[in-house]
Amino acid sequence: MEQDEEMRMKDVIQALNHYIRSRRARVLLIVFVCMLGAYFLTPVLLNKAAEGLIREDRIVKSDVIVALAGDYRCNREKRAAELWRQGWADNVVVSGMSYAWGFHTGEAARLYVMSLGVPEEKIYMICETLNTRAEARALDDLMRERGWNSAIIVTSAFHSRRATYTVERAAPGRSFYSSPVPTGSPEWTPRAWWSRRDDVYVTVREFTSWANTLVGGWQ
Amino acid sequence: MMNPKKRWGKRWASRALISLGLLAAGCAALFFALPALLIAPAIVEKSDVILYGALSKHSAADKYVIDLYRRGVARKIVCVGSQVSWELYPSDYARESLVSQGVHAEDVISLRLPLAPCGGAELPRIVEFVKAHGWKSALYVTHPEDSRYTDNLARRFFEREGVALSVSYSPEDREELTRNWWRTHWKTQRMVGEAMIIALDRFYSECR
Repeated sequence: MEQDEEMRMKDVIQALNHYIRSRRARVLLIVFVCMLGAYFLTPVLLNKAAEGLIREDRIVKSDVIVALAGDYRCNREKRAAELWRQGWADNVVVSGMSYAWGFHTGEAARLYVMSLGVPEEKIYMICETLNTRAEARALDDLMRERGWNSAIIVTSAFHSRRATYTVERAAPGRSFYSSPVPTGSPEWTPRAWWSRRDDVYVTVREFTSWANTLVGGWQ
Repeated sequence: MMNPKKRWGKRWASRALISLGLLAAGCAALFFALPALLIAPAIVEKSDVILYGALSKHSAADKYVIDLYRRGVARKIVCVGSQVSWELYPSDYARESLVSQGVHAEDVISLRLPLAPCGGAELPRIVEFVKAHGWKSALYVTHPEDSRYTDNLARRFFEREGVALSVSYSPEDREELTRNWWRTHWKTQRMVGEAMIIALDRFYSECR
Protein backbone atom coordinates (compact mmCIF):
# COMPACT_ATOMS: atom_id res chain seq x y z
CA MET A 1 0.00 0.00 0.00
CA GLU A 2 2.69 2.45 1.07
CA GLN A 3 4.74 1.60 -2.00
CA ASP A 4 1.72 2.29 -4.26
CA GLU A 5 1.21 5.66 -2.70
CA GLU A 6 4.88 6.51 -3.04
CA MET A 7 4.76 5.55 -6.72
CA ARG A 8 1.72 7.73 -7.27
CA MET A 9 3.41 10.70 -5.58
CA LYS A 10 6.48 10.20 -7.76
CA ASP A 11 4.27 10.15 -10.86
CA VAL A 12 2.56 13.39 -9.83
CA ILE A 13 5.88 15.11 -9.12
CA GLN A 14 7.27 13.90 -12.42
CA ALA A 15 4.21 15.18 -14.29
CA LEU A 16 4.50 18.53 -12.52
CA ASN A 17 8.19 18.80 -13.34
CA HIS A 18 7.44 17.97 -16.92
CA TYR A 19 4.68 20.62 -17.06
CA ILE A 20 6.88 23.29 -15.49
CA ARG A 21 9.46 22.71 -18.22
CA SER A 22 6.80 22.75 -20.95
CA ARG A 23 6.26 25.63 -23.35
CA ARG A 24 2.68 26.22 -22.22
CA ALA A 25 3.81 26.84 -18.65
CA ARG A 26 6.38 29.35 -19.86
CA VAL A 27 3.78 31.16 -21.96
CA LEU A 28 1.35 31.24 -19.02
CA LEU A 29 4.06 32.64 -16.76
CA ILE A 30 4.90 35.36 -19.30
CA VAL A 31 1.20 36.26 -19.68
CA PHE A 32 0.80 36.42 -15.89
CA VAL A 33 3.85 38.65 -15.48
CA CYS A 34 2.64 40.90 -18.30
CA MET A 35 -0.81 41.21 -16.73
CA LEU A 36 0.70 42.00 -13.36
CA GLY A 37 2.98 44.58 -14.97
CA ALA A 38 0.08 46.12 -16.87
CA TYR A 39 -1.98 46.30 -13.67
CA PHE A 40 0.67 48.26 -11.83
CA LEU A 41 2.10 50.22 -14.75
CA THR A 42 -1.13 51.40 -16.44
CA PRO A 43 -2.00 54.07 -13.83
CA VAL A 44 1.58 55.33 -13.89
CA LEU A 45 1.58 55.55 -17.69
CA LEU A 46 -1.85 57.20 -17.81
CA ASN A 47 -0.77 59.80 -15.26
CA LYS A 48 2.43 60.45 -17.19
CA ALA A 49 0.51 60.77 -20.46
CA ALA A 50 -1.84 63.35 -18.92
CA GLU A 51 1.01 65.27 -17.30
CA GLY A 52 2.66 65.31 -20.71
CA LEU A 53 -0.15 67.55 -21.95
CA ILE A 54 1.04 70.33 -19.65
CA ARG A 55 3.73 72.79 -20.60
CA GLU A 56 4.82 75.30 -18.03
CA ASP A 57 7.78 77.51 -18.90
CA ARG A 58 9.83 79.83 -16.77
CA ILE A 59 8.26 83.06 -17.89
CA VAL A 60 10.22 86.17 -18.80
CA LYS A 61 8.99 89.72 -19.32
CA SER A 62 7.22 89.77 -22.67
CA ASP A 63 5.35 92.12 -24.97
CA VAL A 64 1.93 90.62 -24.35
CA ILE A 65 -0.04 88.12 -22.28
CA VAL A 66 -2.52 86.10 -24.32
CA ALA A 67 -5.57 84.47 -22.72
CA LEU A 68 -6.83 81.92 -25.22
CA ALA A 69 -10.56 81.43 -25.72
CA GLY A 70 -12.69 78.50 -24.68
CA ASP A 71 -12.88 78.76 -20.90
CA TYR A 72 -16.48 79.35 -19.83
CA ARG A 73 -15.36 80.07 -16.28
CA CYS A 74 -12.82 82.66 -17.49
CA ASN A 75 -10.01 81.28 -15.35
CA ARG A 76 -7.62 81.93 -18.25
CA GLU A 77 -8.53 85.61 -18.31
CA LYS A 78 -8.23 85.76 -14.53
CA ARG A 79 -4.70 84.32 -14.71
CA ALA A 80 -3.76 86.70 -17.53
CA ALA A 81 -4.87 89.68 -15.44
CA GLU A 82 -2.91 88.31 -12.48
CA LEU A 83 0.26 88.06 -14.61
CA TRP A 84 -0.34 91.59 -15.94
CA ARG A 85 -0.61 92.93 -12.39
CA GLN A 86 2.68 91.21 -11.58
CA GLY A 87 4.23 93.14 -14.46
CA TRP A 88 5.13 90.31 -16.85
CA ALA A 89 3.84 92.28 -19.87
CA ASP A 90 2.27 95.62 -20.73
CA ASN A 91 -0.57 94.30 -22.85
CA VAL A 92 -3.23 91.62 -22.65
CA VAL A 93 -4.94 89.86 -25.54
CA VAL A 94 -8.30 88.15 -25.07
CA SER A 95 -9.97 85.97 -27.61
CA GLY A 96 -13.45 84.78 -28.51
CA MET A 97 -16.09 84.47 -31.16
CA SER A 98 -19.38 86.04 -32.11
CA TYR A 99 -22.78 84.41 -31.87
CA ALA A 100 -25.75 84.92 -34.16
CA TRP A 101 -27.61 86.83 -31.43
CA GLY A 102 -25.11 89.68 -31.65
CA PHE A 103 -22.79 89.11 -28.71
CA HIS A 104 -19.12 88.27 -28.64
CA THR A 105 -17.48 86.07 -26.01
CA GLY A 106 -14.22 88.00 -26.46
CA GLU A 107 -16.04 91.20 -25.53
CA ALA A 108 -17.27 89.60 -22.30
CA ALA A 109 -13.73 88.40 -21.61
CA ARG A 110 -12.43 91.94 -22.23
CA LEU A 111 -14.92 93.41 -19.75
CA TYR A 112 -13.95 90.78 -17.21
CA VAL A 113 -10.22 91.54 -17.59
CA MET A 114 -11.02 95.26 -17.20
CA SER A 115 -12.95 94.49 -14.00
CA LEU A 116 -9.75 92.86 -12.72
CA GLY A 117 -7.82 96.09 -13.12
CA VAL A 118 -6.29 95.98 -16.62
CA PRO A 119 -6.87 99.36 -18.37
CA GLU A 120 -9.03 99.27 -21.51
CA GLU A 121 -6.25 100.64 -23.75
CA LYS A 122 -3.98 97.75 -22.79
CA ILE A 123 -6.46 95.07 -23.89
CA TYR A 124 -6.60 93.76 -27.45
CA MET A 125 -8.99 91.23 -28.88
CA ILE A 126 -8.76 88.54 -31.53
CA CYS A 127 -12.04 87.47 -33.08
CA GLU A 128 -13.63 84.47 -34.77
CA THR A 129 -11.34 81.93 -33.26
CA LEU A 130 -13.14 78.65 -33.79
CA ASN A 131 -10.13 76.50 -32.88
CA THR A 132 -6.56 76.77 -31.66
CA ARG A 133 -5.02 76.93 -35.12
CA ALA A 134 -7.29 79.75 -36.23
CA GLU A 135 -6.50 81.51 -32.97
CA ALA A 136 -2.74 81.07 -33.55
CA ARG A 137 -2.99 82.60 -37.03
CA ALA A 138 -5.02 85.55 -35.73
CA LEU A 139 -2.49 86.06 -32.93
CA ASP A 140 0.38 86.02 -35.41
CA ASP A 141 -1.36 88.71 -37.50
CA LEU A 142 -1.96 90.87 -34.42
CA MET A 143 1.65 90.48 -33.20
CA ARG A 144 2.98 91.44 -36.62
CA GLU A 145 0.66 94.46 -36.77
CA ARG A 146 1.65 95.68 -33.27
CA GLY A 147 5.35 94.81 -33.62
CA TRP A 148 5.32 92.38 -30.68
CA ASN A 149 7.93 89.64 -30.57
CA SER A 150 7.21 87.72 -27.41
CA ALA A 151 4.10 86.50 -25.64
CA ILE A 152 3.04 84.59 -22.56
CA ILE A 153 0.37 82.07 -23.50
CA VAL A 154 -2.27 81.51 -20.83
CA THR A 155 -4.66 78.63 -21.28
CA SER A 156 -5.97 75.62 -19.36
CA ALA A 157 -3.27 73.20 -18.25
CA PHE A 158 -4.45 70.33 -20.48
CA HIS A 159 -4.36 72.65 -23.51
CA SER A 160 -1.04 74.34 -22.73
CA ARG A 161 1.41 72.13 -24.64
CA ARG A 162 -0.71 71.91 -27.79
CA ALA A 163 -1.58 75.62 -27.72
CA THR A 164 2.04 76.71 -27.37
CA TYR A 165 3.14 74.21 -30.02
CA THR A 166 0.47 75.51 -32.42
CA VAL A 167 1.29 79.15 -31.77
CA GLU A 168 5.03 78.53 -32.20
CA ARG A 169 4.37 76.85 -35.54
CA ALA A 170 2.09 79.62 -36.73
CA ALA A 171 4.52 82.38 -35.74
CA PRO A 172 8.10 81.16 -36.18
CA GLY A 173 10.79 83.55 -35.04
CA ARG A 174 8.84 84.87 -32.06
CA SER A 175 9.20 83.76 -28.45
CA PHE A 176 6.34 82.15 -26.56
CA TYR A 177 6.19 81.12 -22.92
CA SER A 178 3.46 78.94 -21.50
CA SER A 179 1.94 79.82 -18.14
CA PRO A 180 -1.20 77.73 -17.75
CA VAL A 181 -4.04 78.00 -15.26
CA PRO A 182 -3.21 75.80 -12.25
CA THR A 183 -4.74 72.33 -12.27
CA GLY A 184 -7.34 71.21 -9.74
CA SER A 185 -11.12 71.33 -9.38
CA PRO A 186 -13.16 72.76 -11.07
CA GLU A 187 -10.36 72.86 -13.64
CA TRP A 188 -8.80 69.69 -14.98
CA THR A 189 -6.77 67.42 -12.69
CA PRO A 190 -4.27 65.08 -14.38
CA ARG A 191 -3.72 62.77 -11.40
CA ALA A 192 -6.00 59.70 -11.73
CA TRP A 193 -7.95 61.50 -14.44
CA TRP A 194 -9.66 58.27 -15.54
CA SER A 195 -11.62 58.18 -12.28
CA ARG A 196 -13.52 61.41 -12.97
CA ARG A 197 -15.91 61.73 -15.88
CA ASP A 198 -15.14 65.37 -16.59
CA ASP A 199 -11.42 64.81 -16.68
CA VAL A 200 -11.76 61.73 -18.89
CA TYR A 201 -13.71 63.76 -21.41
CA VAL A 202 -11.18 66.58 -21.43
CA THR A 203 -8.14 64.29 -21.54
CA VAL A 204 -9.40 62.00 -24.31
CA ARG A 205 -10.55 64.99 -26.35
CA GLU A 206 -7.14 66.61 -25.92
CA PHE A 207 -5.32 63.48 -27.11
CA THR A 208 -7.62 63.39 -30.14
CA SER A 209 -6.93 67.06 -30.81
CA TRP A 210 -3.21 66.41 -30.58
CA ALA A 211 -3.53 63.67 -33.18
CA ASN A 212 -5.51 66.04 -35.40
CA THR A 213 -2.94 68.82 -34.96
CA LEU A 214 0.00 66.53 -35.75
CA VAL A 215 -1.51 65.07 -38.91
CA GLY A 216 -2.79 68.50 -39.98
CA GLY A 217 -6.35 67.23 -40.23
CA TRP A 218 -9.53 69.24 -39.69
CA GLN A 219 -8.86 72.96 -39.66
CA MET B 1 11.04 24.42 -46.60
CA MET B 2 10.18 27.31 -44.29
CA ASN B 3 11.43 27.17 -40.74
CA PRO B 4 8.45 26.20 -38.43
CA LYS B 5 9.25 29.15 -36.14
CA LYS B 6 9.15 31.53 -39.10
CA ARG B 7 5.88 29.99 -40.30
CA TRP B 8 4.39 30.44 -36.82
CA GLY B 9 5.52 34.05 -36.73
CA LYS B 10 4.11 34.75 -40.16
CA ARG B 11 0.78 33.21 -39.23
CA TRP B 12 0.50 35.40 -36.12
CA ALA B 13 1.61 38.49 -38.00
CA SER B 14 -1.09 37.97 -40.61
CA ARG B 15 -3.68 37.37 -37.88
CA ALA B 16 -2.64 40.58 -36.13
CA LEU B 17 -2.81 42.51 -39.40
CA ILE B 18 -6.27 41.17 -40.20
CA SER B 19 -7.47 42.06 -36.68
CA LEU B 20 -6.07 45.57 -36.99
CA GLY B 21 -7.65 45.96 -40.42
CA LEU B 22 -11.02 44.82 -39.10
CA LEU B 23 -10.73 47.18 -36.12
CA ALA B 24 -9.88 50.10 -38.39
CA ALA B 25 -12.79 49.24 -40.72
CA GLY B 26 -15.12 49.01 -37.71
CA CYS B 27 -13.97 52.40 -36.41
CA ALA B 28 -14.40 53.98 -39.84
CA ALA B 29 -17.88 52.47 -40.21
CA LEU B 30 -18.83 53.72 -36.75
CA PHE B 31 -17.49 57.19 -37.53
CA PHE B 32 -19.49 57.55 -40.73
CA ALA B 33 -22.58 56.09 -39.06
CA LEU B 34 -22.54 58.78 -36.34
CA PRO B 35 -25.30 60.97 -37.84
CA ALA B 36 -27.61 57.96 -38.15
CA LEU B 37 -26.76 56.82 -34.64
CA LEU B 38 -27.00 60.19 -32.91
CA ILE B 39 -29.84 61.97 -34.69
CA ALA B 40 -33.32 60.72 -33.79
CA PRO B 41 -36.46 61.63 -35.77
CA ALA B 42 -37.80 65.01 -34.62
CA ILE B 43 -41.07 64.58 -32.73
CA VAL B 44 -43.32 67.58 -32.23
CA GLU B 45 -46.19 67.18 -29.80
CA LYS B 46 -48.46 69.87 -28.46
CA SER B 47 -46.99 70.87 -25.11
CA ASP B 48 -47.30 73.41 -22.34
CA VAL B 49 -43.80 74.78 -22.93
CA ILE B 50 -40.97 74.76 -25.45
CA LEU B 51 -37.57 74.30 -23.83
CA TYR B 52 -35.17 75.98 -26.23
CA GLY B 53 -31.79 74.42 -25.56
CA ALA B 54 -30.15 74.61 -28.99
CA LEU B 55 -28.18 77.73 -28.09
CA SER B 56 -24.82 77.64 -29.82
CA LYS B 57 -22.83 79.54 -32.38
CA HIS B 58 -23.87 77.34 -35.27
CA SER B 59 -27.53 76.98 -34.44
CA ALA B 60 -30.27 78.73 -36.38
CA ALA B 61 -33.16 77.33 -34.38
CA ASP B 62 -34.77 80.72 -33.58
CA LYS B 63 -36.93 80.55 -36.69
CA TYR B 64 -37.99 77.00 -35.91
CA VAL B 65 -38.96 77.84 -32.33
CA ILE B 66 -40.92 80.91 -33.46
CA ASP B 67 -42.69 78.77 -36.05
CA LEU B 68 -43.65 76.22 -33.37
CA TYR B 69 -44.91 79.04 -31.14
CA ARG B 70 -46.97 80.60 -33.93
CA ARG B 71 -48.45 77.22 -34.82
CA GLY B 72 -49.63 76.98 -31.23
CA VAL B 73 -47.53 73.94 -30.37
CA ALA B 74 -46.84 75.64 -27.01
CA ARG B 75 -47.72 78.97 -25.43
CA LYS B 76 -44.57 79.49 -23.46
CA ILE B 77 -40.88 79.33 -24.39
CA VAL B 78 -38.00 78.86 -21.98
CA CYS B 79 -34.51 79.54 -23.36
CA VAL B 80 -32.18 77.30 -21.38
CA GLY B 81 -28.40 77.58 -21.12
CA SER B 82 -25.33 78.18 -19.02
CA GLN B 83 -22.69 80.90 -19.39
CA VAL B 84 -20.26 80.86 -22.33
CA SER B 85 -18.04 83.60 -20.92
CA TRP B 86 -18.02 85.87 -17.89
CA GLU B 87 -21.69 86.49 -16.95
CA LEU B 88 -22.62 85.93 -20.58
CA TYR B 89 -25.69 83.77 -21.04
CA PRO B 90 -26.82 83.04 -24.61
CA SER B 91 -30.30 82.29 -23.25
CA ASP B 92 -30.74 86.01 -22.41
CA TYR B 93 -29.88 86.98 -25.98
CA ALA B 94 -32.01 84.24 -27.50
CA ARG B 95 -34.94 85.53 -25.46
CA GLU B 96 -34.38 89.09 -26.71
CA SER B 97 -34.11 87.79 -30.26
CA LEU B 98 -37.40 85.89 -30.01
CA VAL B 99 -39.14 88.94 -28.55
CA SER B 100 -37.76 91.15 -31.34
CA GLN B 101 -39.22 88.70 -33.86
CA GLY B 102 -42.74 88.94 -32.50
CA VAL B 103 -43.00 86.50 -29.62
CA HIS B 104 -44.82 88.13 -26.66
CA ALA B 105 -42.27 89.12 -24.02
CA GLU B 106 -44.38 87.59 -21.24
CA ASP B 107 -44.28 84.23 -23.04
CA VAL B 108 -40.49 83.89 -23.12
CA ILE B 109 -38.26 83.22 -20.12
CA SER B 110 -34.50 82.90 -19.92
CA LEU B 111 -33.38 80.15 -17.57
CA ARG B 112 -29.75 80.57 -16.55
CA LEU B 113 -28.16 77.31 -15.51
CA PRO B 114 -24.91 76.93 -13.61
CA LEU B 115 -22.06 75.23 -15.47
CA ALA B 116 -22.56 71.49 -15.16
CA PRO B 117 -20.30 68.62 -16.17
CA CYS B 118 -23.06 66.81 -18.09
CA GLY B 119 -26.72 66.76 -19.03
CA GLY B 120 -27.58 64.45 -16.18
CA ALA B 121 -26.39 67.09 -13.72
CA GLU B 122 -28.38 69.99 -15.20
CA LEU B 123 -31.61 68.22 -16.12
CA PRO B 124 -32.98 68.08 -12.55
CA ARG B 125 -32.88 71.91 -12.45
CA ILE B 126 -34.82 72.17 -15.69
CA VAL B 127 -37.41 69.63 -14.49
CA GLU B 128 -37.70 71.52 -11.22
CA PHE B 129 -38.32 74.78 -13.12
CA VAL B 130 -40.95 73.17 -15.35
CA LYS B 131 -42.72 71.65 -12.35
CA ALA B 132 -42.60 74.92 -10.42
CA HIS B 133 -44.58 76.55 -13.24
CA GLY B 134 -47.14 73.77 -13.20
CA TRP B 135 -46.41 72.63 -16.76
CA LYS B 136 -47.27 68.99 -17.47
CA SER B 137 -45.68 68.57 -20.89
CA ALA B 138 -42.62 69.98 -22.61
CA LEU B 139 -41.09 70.04 -26.06
CA TYR B 140 -37.31 70.09 -25.86
CA VAL B 141 -35.67 71.76 -28.87
CA THR B 142 -32.05 70.66 -28.88
CA HIS B 143 -29.12 70.20 -31.26
CA PRO B 144 -29.72 67.47 -33.85
CA GLU B 145 -26.72 65.37 -32.76
CA ASP B 146 -27.99 65.49 -29.19
CA SER B 147 -31.56 64.45 -30.03
CA ARG B 148 -31.41 60.68 -29.52
CA TYR B 149 -29.52 60.97 -26.29
CA THR B 150 -31.71 63.77 -24.93
CA ASP B 151 -34.76 61.74 -25.85
CA ASN B 152 -33.36 58.87 -23.85
CA LEU B 153 -31.84 60.72 -20.88
CA ALA B 154 -34.15 63.71 -20.43
CA ARG B 155 -37.29 61.64 -20.88
CA ARG B 156 -36.31 59.60 -17.80
CA PHE B 157 -35.82 62.72 -15.68
CA PHE B 158 -39.04 64.35 -16.88
CA GLU B 159 -41.28 61.31 -16.77
CA ARG B 160 -40.07 60.45 -13.28
CA GLU B 161 -41.62 63.77 -12.22
CA GLY B 162 -44.80 63.25 -14.23
CA VAL B 163 -43.92 65.63 -17.09
CA ALA B 164 -44.41 64.37 -20.66
CA LEU B 165 -41.52 65.14 -23.00
CA SER B 166 -40.95 65.17 -26.74
CA VAL B 167 -37.64 66.07 -28.39
CA SER B 168 -37.16 67.97 -31.61
CA TYR B 169 -34.64 70.12 -33.48
CA SER B 170 -34.53 72.59 -36.32
CA PRO B 171 -34.55 70.89 -39.75
CA GLU B 172 -32.18 73.63 -40.95
CA ASP B 173 -29.75 72.77 -38.17
CA ARG B 174 -29.88 69.14 -39.16
CA GLU B 175 -29.31 69.90 -42.81
CA GLU B 176 -26.37 72.15 -42.02
CA LEU B 177 -24.80 69.74 -39.55
CA THR B 178 -25.00 66.68 -41.78
CA ARG B 179 -23.75 68.42 -44.93
CA ASN B 180 -20.13 67.27 -45.48
CA TRP B 181 -19.83 66.94 -41.75
CA TRP B 182 -16.68 64.76 -41.80
CA ARG B 183 -14.80 67.53 -43.63
CA THR B 184 -15.67 70.34 -41.26
CA HIS B 185 -13.88 70.80 -37.95
CA TRP B 186 -16.77 72.02 -35.80
CA LYS B 187 -19.23 69.46 -37.19
CA THR B 188 -16.87 66.55 -36.61
CA GLN B 189 -16.04 67.94 -33.19
CA ARG B 190 -19.72 68.03 -32.24
CA MET B 191 -20.49 64.55 -33.56
CA VAL B 192 -17.46 62.93 -31.92
CA GLY B 193 -17.98 64.96 -28.73
CA GLU B 194 -21.56 63.74 -28.46
CA ALA B 195 -20.49 60.13 -29.04
CA MET B 196 -17.91 60.52 -26.28
CA ILE B 197 -20.48 61.99 -23.90
CA ILE B 198 -22.84 59.07 -24.46
CA ALA B 199 -20.06 56.53 -23.96
CA LEU B 200 -18.76 58.24 -20.81
CA ASP B 201 -22.19 58.63 -19.23
CA ARG B 202 -22.54 54.85 -19.31
CA PHE B 203 -19.49 54.44 -17.13
CA TYR B 204 -19.93 57.32 -14.68
CA SER B 205 -23.05 57.14 -12.56
CA GLU B 206 -23.29 60.88 -11.71
CA CYS B 207 -24.43 61.61 -15.26
CA ARG B 208 -27.02 58.89 -15.78
